[in-house]
Amino acid sequence: MGHEDYKEMLSAHALAALDREAELALNQHLSDCADCREELDRWNETAAALALAADPVEPSPQLREQILRRIKTEAQDARPDEISTSGSRVVSSQVIPFRRPTKTVWLPIGSLGAIAATLVFAALLVSLIMLWQQNRTAKIEVAELRNQVQSAQDELARQRKVLELLATPGVKMLELSGTNMAPGANAKLAYDKTGHAMLMAKGLPLAPAGKAYQLWYIVGDKPMPGKVFKTDGAGNGMLQDQMPAVALNSANFAITMEPEGGTQSPTGAIYLHSGS
Amino acid sequence: MHPEQAQITDVQLLHAVARGDEPALAQLYDRYRVILFGLLARILNSREEAEDVLQEVFLQVWRRAADFDENRGRPFTWLVTLARSRAIDRLRSLASRDRTAVAGAQEELEQVSDPASDAFRSEQRRLVANALAQLPDDQKRALMLAYFDGLTQSEIAARLGAPLGTVKTRMRSGMMKLKELLANKSESFGF
Repeated sequence: MGHEDYKEMLSAHALAALDREAELALNQHLSDCADCREELDRWNETAAALALAADPVEPSPQLREQILRRIKTEAQDARPDEISTSGSRVVSSQVIPFRRPTKTVWLPIGSLGAIAATLVFAALLVSLIMLWQQNRTAKIEVAELRNQVQSAQDELARQRKVLELLATPGVKMLELSGTNMAPGANAKLAYDKTGHAMLMAKGLPLAPAGKAYQLWYIVGDKPMPGKVFKTDGAGNGMLQDQMPAVALNSANFAITMEPEGGTQSPTGAIYLHSGS
Repeated sequence: MHPEQAQITDVQLLHAVARGDEPALAQLYDRYRVILFGLLARILNSREEAEDVLQEVFLQVWRRAADFDENRGRPFTWLVTLARSRAIDRLRSLASRDRTAVAGAQEELEQVSDPASDAFRSEQRRLVANALAQLPDDQKRALMLAYFDGLTQSEIAARLGAPLGTVKTRMRSGMMKLKELLANKSESFGF
């Protein structure tokens, strides 16, 4: 479009009557052409006269107060790059005078609303799935934690019992060492005058299903049955027992592997024993 | 209007508003409310909408008074252009919603301002009315449809069943004639 074409559009532009594409094109031209901007200013004066073709009408009296009240909370815009050195006058640059350069574009509310609703729904769905997954994971973790807590509590209880026993005056303690069956195994036995005994074994292989370790009190050459116990995965086992009175003064003890119900006489191999 | 107020020009008032002078805005409102509200009422055909927009207009005046450049035009032009722009925007958004409310409000707007307080304007109104009367009908119609109905050239062409090129010509010719007719009286147009 040539310069003359743009000039011919100016009066229609002053009436805001240009169609959208023409308006955009002209605005583009105006940003570069001071001549046309000046001519547009003159056309604006002409167009403004048409306002006087409308009958004068008084607005409601309360409007005045409303406006004066509202401006109290309103900021005024200063355009910092345009304040002249004199300070009192502001010169606006080549902005198209006082009109919005583009027409408002209205999408049908329906489509906007539908799109928004779909997005919101999708987002909610995703959040819900994530929460559900997190919940499942959390539940598993909670079960795990509960097991760990239980184990820890059990361990604490055992240790407390051991401490109690060891604190008893007149407590005897001896060690059992591992045989060929369990060279790395080791056990400590503590017992008091009443025969209240506690055994702590370490390094024992895990007993197969249906089997357990059994404590024996060797009196003379006769082994007397004590209780059975099982080890945990780490090879540790603990046992509380009541020694038979006759064994209180004997010095020998042994641990064999027996059926988990226990036996009256040892049948299995010896894993730990006191003495040589 | 009090004599001492008349001595303050509109230009000075706008400058004062730009400096945050609230009484200056009040005075500007008093001077222009009838013209601007009449314009808004004519365009929007609804008192309620027009009052809404009038508030917006003066808020905009308050915010952007610093934009006014007296080298480029008169305060009257600046104010009227601002008001009309907002009215057309509102009209177009209303048109996409509900036409019935706008159509029914015609009766409310018979109230006319006190002629004594408007004496300053009635001369100008007469001049404009005379100028418009001298335009060929089709040119005047094109201008009025654009100015008060907010129609674009294509919309006017559709409304009148006329070719777009014809509408463009009528609009351009009408504006040129109006400009000529008013230019002769430019001194009395100085607000």
